[in-house]
Amino acid sequence: MAESWLREQAQAQGWEKATKLEGRPTSQGLVAVLVDVAGRNGSMVEVNCETDFVARNRAFQSVVEGISEACLKFIQGAPTSTIHPFTKVNLDVDQLKQLPSAKGSSLADEVALAIHTVGENIVIRRAVGFKAKEEDSDLFLSGYIHPTPLNNLVLGTPLLGRYGALVVLKDGKNHDKRELLGRQLCQHIVGMNPRKVGGEGDEPAKNPEDEHCLLLQEYLLDPSTTVGSYLTENGLSVLDFTRFECGEENGDLGKIPENTAVKATN
Amino acid sequence: MRLFLSFVRCYSRITARDSVQSLLATSKYFGADNVPGTWSVLKRVKCISQEWDQSISWFGGNCRYISSEVSKHCNVGTIGHIDHGKTTLTAAITRISEIDGLGKFVSYEDIDRAPEERARGITINATHVEYSTSFRHYAHTDCPGHVDFIKNMISGTSQMDAAILVVAATDGVMPQTREHMLLAKQVGVEKMIVFINKADLVDEEVRELVEIEIRELLTDFGFDGISTPVIVGSALLALKGDSSEFGVPSVKKLLNALDTYIPSPSRDFTSPFVLPVDNAFTVPGRGTVVTGTLLKGTVKKNDEAELMGYDEKIKTSVGDIQVFKKSVPKAVAGENVGALLRGVKISSVHKGMMLCAFNSAVISNRFLAKIYFLSRSEGGRRKPVTSNYIQQLFSKTWSVACRVDLMEGVSMIMPGEHATVYLTLIKKMVFNPGQPFTLRENNITVATGIVIEVKPSVQVPKANLSKVAIG
Repeated sequence: MAESWLREQAQAQGWEKATKLEGRPTSQGLVAVLVDVAGRNGSMVEVNCETDFVARNRAFQSVVEGISEACLKFIQGAPTSTIHPFTKVNLDVDQLKQLPSAKGSSLADEVALAIHTVGENIVIRRAVGFKAKEEDSDLFLSGYIHPTPLNNLVLGTPLLGRYGALVVLKDGKNHDKRELLGRQLCQHIVGMNPRKVGGEGDEPAKNPEDEHCLLLQEYLLDPSTTVGSYLTENGLSVLDFTRFECGEENGDLGKIPENTAVKATN
Repeated sequence: MRLFLSFVRCYSRITARDSVQSLLATSKYFGADNVPGTWSVLKRVKCISQEWDQSISWFGGNCRYISSEVSKHCNVGTIGHIDHGKTTLTAAITRISEIDGLGKFVSYEDIDRAPEERARGITINATHVEYSTSFRHYAHTDCPGHVDFIKNMISGTSQMDAAILVVAATDGVMPQTREHMLLAKQVGVEKMIVFINKADLVDEEVRELVEIEIRELLTDFGFDGISTPVIVGSALLALKGDSSEFGVPSVKKLLNALDTYIPSPSRDFTSPFVLPVDNAFTVPGRGTVVTGTLLKGTVKKNDEAELMGYDEKIKTSVGDIQVFKKSVPKAVAGENVGALLRGVKISSVHKGMMLCAFNSAVISNRFLAKIYFLSRSEGGRRKPVTSNYIQQLFSKTWSVACRVDLMEGVSMIMPGEHATVYLTLIKKMVFNPGQPFTLRENNITVATGIVIEVKPSVQVPKANLSKVAIG
């Protein structure tokens, strides 16, 4: 009983502080990428704070991990499309805030608590996810975060950093190294910042430095080839991708050529 | 003599260097330079005027003192949570400094702006203010972010000698105070001073608890939790000119702690000498002379030396030393010297080489360095850097081709990021820890960095850096 009273007090203090600090600019923070072990569902979130000192702090990081996990859970629970092989899920920030946290309260409550703990304004800025059909085994999701976290790439746990990428791939050859290739492709997406996948109608840019189509870009890890050629050689094809850069201005979520975004519904 | 001593006591309060000059002038006036008591008087002056790094050498009755540049300067930074009062404290320090006639007041608003500044092409968010105590001059830096402090360090402009950690008694230690201390370690700060702010808003018990918590944390992070000065006060009261215990007196205590707890960096006279070669010429009938400003140590006539750089290590000895065009038996750090090198042809000397005391310096082509790649908006690269990145490295007066390799586990460095990397140069050079450098692509600066460690040399097959085996 005393414990729940304490928690109530802390929560109230949290909300008081959150209201006080609301509106303060939050240019720092973290991006979290989380792909489930089966490679069927993936989430990417951006959570901002005021200084990079707080972004490096464990207390803030565990809040971001919690948000990342809540987001994935939501995506796992979202309906799969009957027509398309995968769905891109764009989460509305207000609805995100109402998602349940691991402790039973809402994400907004957890954020308010964190605001009180670190004394800085914290904002869940955006979130996105992909969901691949269960039955489609040659579809898989890959995620990547930069800088490479020290605890390495344990599938099923959130990865935190300043840049993140999620990609949906189709594997035509049943490639045994497809996870690695998927991650490397994500690394390329983070580094080279393509705007779209690219396809039939796209002409290469005059200056390779200005190339915006992923498939036409020089592959970061092997500039002698293009991403498109490299993928074809390995029997892979990209269906969609998304890239977050923490603190970036326009919040470009990457275009979806075919699918419609499924809005989060409660 | 007594009149003379009290005269000296008055003078020594100004600055140590000024006091010696006026002492010598005064001693001549009093006819005291040949009086046996003068040297002991000078020693007494040293005690009165605190830290005093001057060596006075007497040459046949003439006094030529070689100033070690009395270390009147110290670089200080403030770290702490945004709402704990760093900016108010900085403003309060400058206000008190101005009242004492030793600085200029900088208002809270002016400090808070933390304007962007460019140092060697990098944009850093920082505020710099200056102030002095009667003992020393301080350059005070405040940065909003971790990355700004790192960029400041990498740009090599100045090393932070000490940090003031500001913690508000109302909140106490925050979770991110750990990150503040980690940063201080990362930029090489060994001495921390703590200011517990907003002390007037809490009671004595809380202040004590906060102090205990901070001291424990300091020890956890390898600082001296026991002897670190912890000053309790209110920056706001001090800024308003309040003379109560937590007002102006608390900031004066802080300044005093800065004066006494932070040692003065001084010129190195005792290490093996190092002379970076600026220029070289032939003196007809005598030989090759190299010139430059002595960086460290003392060089004496007939000293054995090595001329090092561009894969060369030439043994030689110093034939003659000249300072201000006059032959001298020795020269010390800070002096501009010309050194005649025995048995060295002018064609062997290249700008960028170093003349070092025999067997004292290392020449290598592999190093560990901290590097910052300029962001796109700073005019840097657009794409990230992966290993085996080869460009031209510029440092001091030389430039050579250099290969950059990332640490294990690091896959790439994005523009606007900093990292620790391996450097492999195409020729062996003297390139010491603390030495700054830049990397240029087509003459545009893309990265700036600082050497951390010298590693054993590696083989560069047929002058082809891309073929170097990275162990």
